[in-house]
Amino acid sequence: MTRPFSTRRILSWAGLALAGAIALSAGLYFGGSADRGSGADLRGKDAAALFGVALPDTKGREQSIGQWKGKLLVVNFWATWCVPCREEMPEFVKAQQEFGQRGLQFVGIAIDDTAKVEAFAAELGLNYPALIGGYGAIELSRSFGNRLGALPFTIVVDRAGRISHTQLGPIKEAQLRAIISQLL
Amino acid sequence: MKSSIVGTLTSALVALTFCSSVAGAEPKLLEPERAFALSVQAVDEKTVEVRFAIAHGYYLYREKMKFAVEPAVLASPPQLPPGALKDDPFFGTVETYRGRFALRLPLASVEPGLKVTVKAESQGCADAGVCYPPQVQSVTVALPAPGGRPGAPVAATPARKSWFN
Repeated sequence: MTRPFSTRRILSWAGLALAGAIALSAGLYFGGSADRGSGADLRGKDAAALFGVALPDTKGREQSIGQWKGKLLVVNFWATWCVPCREEMPEFVKAQQEFGQRGLQFVGIAIDDTAKVEAFAAELGLNYPALIGGYGAIELSRSFGNRLGALPFTIVVDRAGRISHTQLGPIKEAQLRAIISQLL
Repeated sequence: MKSSIVGTLTSALVALTFCSSVAGAEPKLLEPERAFALSVQAVDEKTVEVRFAIAHGYYLYREKMKFAVEPAVLASPPQLPPGALKDDPFFGTVETYRGRFALRLPLASVEPGLKVTVKAESQGCADAGVCYPPQVQSVTVALPAPGGRPGAPVAATPARKSWFN
């Protein structure tokens, strides 16, 4: 909050807004409705709008989600102020460790500030990218079916670049294992 | 006729139940403005009372509460009631509110009859396993004359829409 807006930051916001608008119009086009709950509407749809998003990592380097196209991609919106988010992340770390070589890639988008994210990442031993989204990323998640704008919210994109699953609330370990064994 | 309606309703219910179970394990959740319902009452010519009614299964973080009143200044910092202590492995001890809580905001440099807008920022979670980002709710109330009757409590969110009106 104290950091002044840089051009890069403004550009990344513009990117977020554009991606959001594309995803939203895609959702509307395919008959999806933002108030039917999250998930089902976007399943099987192309994740291009998500691949178009670029956000800074904790070192301030711009990271495009598109660089992980072709992986089984799990994009998790989270925050340090969200206890259920923090509680499910050790499972993600474990799965990243176990299946990363075979093409599983977790990416966290934190609705938070860099210092807190870095502190928590160090404490947890986070082994996948943590991107800094700020509150604008909540709007991005809404465009993928997060009707309430709450956390955690997770989008699973299969290796063909289609959204296979979206979920508001923690993913249980058994469910995560099922997704991995089905899609990896 | 009656039985066919009942039959239709039953199959609709079965279909709904089936759909929701297929859709996944998503908890049924309230919109944040309903989970954390705010109302404000002007109690005298220079005091407003802020009340939160928190739905069962939801809680707010005490240290995330922020208040502002426009166009006025607070005569003293908000005195939030103590919350329940909760140990957070990352943030240490935090205080949370459940159910109802209220606090009075003393206002400086206001005139009787002035309309003031109370802005309350809060952040909370549901026991079902989600947290909401901070939300700001606003309520505008008119301050009564000195010695006058307190105003009626005003809710930030309009009452739930009913099928019958």
